[in-house]
Amino acid sequence: MKKRYTSSRRLAGAFVAGALLLVACGSDDEPTSAPETTEGAAATTEAAVATTEAAVATTEGASATTEGAVATTAAGGEDPLAGLYQECLDNGARVNLIALPDEWANYKGVLAAFGEKYPGIAYPVQNPNASSQEELDAVINLAGQDDMPDAIDVSPAKAIIAADSGLWAPFEPSTIGEVPDNMKDPDGNWVSAYYGIMSIGTNTTIVANAPKSFADLAKPEYKGQVALNGDPRESGSALAAVMAASLANGGSPDDIMPGIEYFAELKASGNLIPTEVTQATVISGETPIALDWSYNYPGLASAVEDAGFTVEINFPTDAAYGAPYAQGVVAGSPHQACAQLWIEHILSNEGALAYLGGGGMPARYAAVDAAGLISEADRANLPPADLLAEVVFLTPEQSTAANDALLANWGPMVADA
Amino acid sequence: MSNQTESPNTVGELREIENSDFDDGPVVSRERGGWAWLGLLPFFAFLTLFLLVPTIGLIRKAFVANDSSFTTDGMTAAITDEWAAFRNSLKISFVTAALGVVLGTALAYAAATAKRPKWLRSLVAAFSGVAANMGGIILAFLFLTLLGRQGLGTKILADNGWDPYKSWFSINDFSGVILVYMYFQIPLMVLVTLPAIDGLKASWREASANLGGSTFTYWRRVGLPVLAPSMLGGFLLLFANAYSAFATAYALNTQSNLVPVKISFYLQGDVTGRSPLPFALATWMILFMGFSMGGYLLMRKRAERWQR
Amino acid sequence: MRRLSAWLGRIGPTLVLLAAAVFFIAPLLSTARAAFHKVPTILLDRHTWFTKWSFDGIRRAFNEEFFWPTLLLGLKLALVTVLITMVLLVPTALYVHLRLPRARALVEFLTVLPYVVPPIALVAGVAAFFRPNARWFLNSDFSLAPFYVVIAMPFTYRAIDAGIKAIDVRTLVDASRSLGGSWAMTLRKALLPNLSASLLSSAFLTATVVLGEFTIASSLAKNTFATFSFEYFGRDPQGGIGLALLTLLATTGLLGVLTIATRSKSRRAMAANRG
Repeated sequence: MKKRYTSSRRLAGAFVAGALLLVACGSDDEPTSAPETTEGAAATTEAAVATTEAAVATTEGASATTEGAVATTAAGGEDPLAGLYQECLDNGARVNLIALPDEWANYKGVLAAFGEKYPGIAYPVQNPNASSQEELDAVINLAGQDDMPDAIDVSPAKAIIAADSGLWAPFEPSTIGEVPDNMKDPDGNWVSAYYGIMSIGTNTTIVANAPKSFADLAKPEYKGQVALNGDPRESGSALAAVMAASLANGGSPDDIMPGIEYFAELKASGNLIPTEVTQATVISGETPIALDWSYNYPGLASAVEDAGFTVEINFPTDAAYGAPYAQGVVAGSPHQACAQLWIEHILSNEGALAYLGGGGMPARYAAVDAAGLISEADRANLPPADLLAEVVFLTPEQSTAANDALLANWGPMVADA
Repeated sequence: MSNQTESPNTVGELREIENSDFDDGPVVSRERGGWAWLGLLPFFAFLTLFLLVPTIGLIRKAFVANDSSFTTDGMTAAITDEWAAFRNSLKISFVTAALGVVLGTALAYAAATAKRPKWLRSLVAAFSGVAANMGGIILAFLFLTLLGRQGLGTKILADNGWDPYKSWFSINDFSGVILVYMYFQIPLMVLVTLPAIDGLKASWREASANLGGSTFTYWRRVGLPVLAPSMLGGFLLLFANAYSAFATAYALNTQSNLVPVKISFYLQGDVTGRSPLPFALATWMILFMGFSMGGYLLMRKRAERWQR
Repeated sequence: MRRLSAWLGRIGPTLVLLAAAVFFIAPLLSTARAAFHKVPTILLDRHTWFTKWSFDGIRRAFNEEFFWPTLLLGLKLALVTVLITMVLLVPTALYVHLRLPRARALVEFLTVLPYVVPPIALVAGVAAFFRPNARWFLNSDFSLAPFYVVIAMPFTYRAIDAGIKAIDVRTLVDASRSLGGSWAMTLRKALLPNLSASLLSSAFLTATVVLGEFTIASSLAKNTFATFSFEYFGRDPQGGIGLALLTLLATTGLLGVLTIATRSKSRRAMAANRG
């Protein structure tokens, strides 16, 4: 009897011991494995930067001549990129994209333009409604797999975190010279192809009297109607909404706390609902008042009308806040050449015009305008010029400070309150 | 919890005793006793690799700080900073488990004893099987369309005088979560209790009536005491089930202040994967689950006495 | 008092059943309306109630790029999970019954252990151990299968175990072996047919769980049917809800058919055993 009892215990013990052994010697923690991968990545990206620097040197001469020619043929600007196009075709003919909703700054148009310009290349978009944080998670989770994102489009705060974690493969597209300094990373990690202004979108069928400022939003008549585009600790547009609220309430680009306090009050009064703004909630009327980028509404216009609603966009009178998004190539991704081609595209004239069509302000606005490519209809999509002039982007330090303040305070003060 | 196809079999009971007492026999088999365990090797190995190892891995990470040193800071931070999440999870689990026990037992009894229609019990059992294991996402959608801010039920109620959202109800909050959880808690209780109710022999009911007892007396003296271990075990099972539910809570409110949602939030939010916080939260959760499930197993053993 | 309690005793169960019916069916009705009626709830009134009904949502769902791939993956995963479960648990359960009854308590305890480590915690552990050590394993979509086997284990083992308890395994095995049958033949001809009811129902429940499992799949960034449904709902609410409803109806219908079919089968088996 006793013998059998002990042998079963012995066996169970053997297995637990085996498990512990496996775990103990098996697991090298993230700290030791990360340097290995980044060393390898750094080696390849150094090479990549070297080749693109050479490419930029040669195309700089070429672009001088094509700038004049751009009005006549769109194909004229392709020559410097023909090599890259071929390389992409040879290396899988596919660029894995993520988190690009159709109606976000008219990504539908941007993607379609890419497909037209470079036939034969697939551009699947996974998880269109993912937040910037979820994009970084996908890069980490899917590392080494075929469907690892090749290029990402994240908020400035998350772009800095990505740079710190070595997730970018630095790449400077041929048109980088025409991108203003505050819309590109000095180390070449990322560029910003577009930016927008925080706005208040109201479903006027449900809400008769559209709010026009942050002060308005706090009024009791809007109880249960105000929504953000996600959690500001994860989503760039929600962070921007909090920052804008901060500017409206005595804060500054260095201090996001007044914004957090504002939303704490908004939640306490019941005006703020925890529902995330998505196409679904806008079309169903569940989020009648949405704090979102100005370029997110034009794309939804037809769907909203179909449902029988009317929408009014207002730029808050007490705060003009805008921010760009950062796009770049992901380190170690399966289709590097195609990712570079994609970045070239979003900064090209076709890309800029597509963003404009959705109401997004392209980075190379000055250059595209000088080439006479912008129609009056496109100009009408944009926010008012005086507001655009007021907008000041956060510096990287300010972005990081805002992100940290949110991580520390948003939970206790708003989300879990 | 899908034991739907059995009924008590008194003849089988006799055979059952025979089987379990049938040892390998005299001396020869006893020496082979130790080696017999080798037959369970594949099972043990599989569980070790896919259950034990991840669990030990995560418990280990709960005690490792950002700089790879041993620390209990993660564990203390988890239980103190996120105490609200633990309290909320506990509250929801307790309430839905208690409600689930009462309503589930009532429903199981109603279904088991219904004489007509004859297919009723099968229907309830089948539906319970699906509902208890239904994906959390689908369930959240179901209730969002009924009682969400733009839900049909909400509109009907509002049009007829009572707007739940102007009052105390909200699908994203406690009231909503509890209501939605009942949709799988009650069926789970039904699945667990049906065999126990089958064990309540009709002859006992008759005997009680013959001895002059009312329905109330029957339940108080015979029915509930027999069902008690099942009910207590069911409570613990439902408690554990609600505590660990993630998908439903997440779909209803991605920012829920509940432990599983917090674990996911911290896992997601930490790109470097070095913070012990999500793993500490998970370790605490495992501890609580361990107590619950241990209790459930004990109760189930006692309940099964009546079912043979 | 006695009359009241007697009356309650008769009416009670019916009331309970009616209340349950309302509670469980109402959400399904509202979901059906949301899926097929193209009018937002807020604009519903007598005039719009009968207009704009259509199956567009479902049609759009079927045309989604990732619909068929994820559904196929879900079915494949379900198959693999069920196979692993059967191959692992049926011999184990039989072994415990026949050779090592002493192990029963331990094995039952182990099969309930997955309840103690809920999926959200398990996936944290998977990230903690498998990602640094065996990333190649996590790269495959089928790496989900073993973890699905683990989370389904509590009720699959119980179902298999119950099925074995309900038949007289020892006699069957002794008879088959003494008639010259090998272990394989015993398994195939004597045991499995009698166990088919419980095996089938546990297989089906496993498949339901696999198709609906969201936590592990989304945390490991896999594109399964459940994660696709959630993501699709965010983009196209009507389509997403229609899809969810369809999935639910399909699984319920199948389970209903299965239950009815196996009920008669198990009754026959038990009658045969008694006789």
